[in-house]
Amino acid sequence: MEKIKYEKPVITKITAGIPNKFGLPAKQKIVSQIDGIAVDKLMDEYGSPVFVISEKTIRETYREARRAFETRYPKVQFAWSYKTNYLDAVCSIFHDEGSWAEVVSGFEFEKALSLGVKGTQILFNGPEKSEADLTLAINHNACIHIDHFDELYLLIETTRKIGKKARVAIRINMDTGIYPMWDRFGFNYENGEAWNAINRIMLAENLDLIGLHTHIGTYIMSTSAYAVAASKLSNLYMATHRKFNHWLKYIDLGGGFASKNTLKGAYMPGSETCPSFDEYAEAISNAIISSEIPHENLPVLFLETGRALIDDAGYLLTTVLANKRSVAGRRTMVIDAGVNLLFTSFWYNLGVYPTKEVAEYLEDTTIYGPLCMNIDVVRDAINFPHVKTGDRLVIERVGAYNMTQWMQFITFRPNVVLIDMEKKTHIIRKKEELGSIQNFEVNPKR
Amino acid sequence: MKIPGEVKISDNGFVFNSNSGDSFALNPFGLELIRKLKEGKDFDELKPEILEKYDVDDLTFEKDFYEFYALLKHHQLIIQENQLDFK
Repeated sequence: MEKIKYEKPVITKITAGIPNKFGLPAKQKIVSQIDGIAVDKLMDEYGSPVFVISEKTIRETYREARRAFETRYPKVQFAWSYKTNYLDAVCSIFHDEGSWAEVVSGFEFEKALSLGVKGTQILFNGPEKSEADLTLAINHNACIHIDHFDELYLLIETTRKIGKKARVAIRINMDTGIYPMWDRFGFNYENGEAWNAINRIMLAENLDLIGLHTHIGTYIMSTSAYAVAASKLSNLYMATHRKFNHWLKYIDLGGGFASKNTLKGAYMPGSETCPSFDEYAEAISNAIISSEIPHENLPVLFLETGRALIDDAGYLLTTVLANKRSVAGRRTMVIDAGVNLLFTSFWYNLGVYPTKEVAEYLEDTTIYGPLCMNIDVVRDAINFPHVKTGDRLVIERVGAYNMTQWMQFITFRPNVVLIDMEKKTHIIRKKEELGSIQNFEVNPKR
Repeated sequence: MKIPGEVKISDNGFVFNSNSGDSFALNPFGLELIRKLKEGKDFDELKPEILEKYDVDDLTFEKDFYEFYALLKHHQLIIQENQLDFK
């Protein structure tokens, strides 16, 4: 006699409360393959946990963003935000699609050069640029985005020392009607600091002011904030022309477009609430085109979009280590990937999905990572089906920031695998081993 | 081990404990197990029956059974007369 399919026994307390207005999804989503390759095959071959990046998704997302802007504005240039994901293979795909590089340190600058990016196609942002970094940037004719007056004077001093001109822009912070207003980077628009900086640069003989840059924040869900920013930069663009008879070359709106991840505390999923590239493009393009800038002198529009271009392309495949019950009877689960690999789990309710059909019954669950640390919580609360030890799970939308902000803590960082356009898989960053860590250590002889 | 008379179990898996006022939902296998427990069966008696009927190995069932049993105790749906009796 054929045996009946087994399902774990479950009892749940029924609690009265405010029902969720939107209800629960009718069916548990299953992620059994990525770009046509079975998750089981990927994990058998590359271990667990393992990051997987889809080249197809990167290219499709990039092209969608480019189309949204290029159909609305005549001159658009994306610059790949290295800090979002600076794995060589990932950067190379963006450069292959036509992206310039946006870097925020000497290390990232050198990485861009090593990948064959021309110095003139590197935007050098950030508050930390040493004299050596500035010298490197000047020698490669990069666009240096000045963050503060001390950097401006260091740059003037550096250009004098090496006897070369620097191509510069300034970073500008401003009130765009959103909270929090980022004012720690750049020169302020409203109090005239940015205008002072422009005047000082225009008088400096070795500095060639070519652009204006802002980056109003991160995960910005209001497209109108970008319209305000674009208008204010357009005003400065025109003011510079009026006073100095000098047309700048570009306006850089930075990054900050929201990805489809869901922020902690959000009522609705990010996939439902985040603006599309079209909506961002509409707001920004309209603001510049309807400003007083003559159409024949429209600046190139630079975009340093990071998160929204790469988040969807990254997956983390992980394995269930244990199911437990808390003292209060709450279901908890331990998986083999934790906050050491998932920095973004501090901000997002990351989507975690089984890889095969599971029991329909869902239970409110806390998902812990494998670290022997109390902070290692991947999801505080998620309605999750019962899965067994050894079952495999997929965490979606982890392409941005996790592979740059991850920690080598307690255990090794895993393989990162790329699925290329031909559905071939490649290790693009090898799993660490003891030697990877100890090679940098020196143990004094006693 | 016994299930107090105040705990009522319906045919569709709804459980009401009139002692505490709490109500619960059981999945079909949870309902089957609690009924067998109500009949007075313990783990050793249940195990061969379940292994015969369901596609499950003995360790998985043992693990799930004791987790379920602990939850029933936690929710005060069963009373363990002898605290030293593991089963």
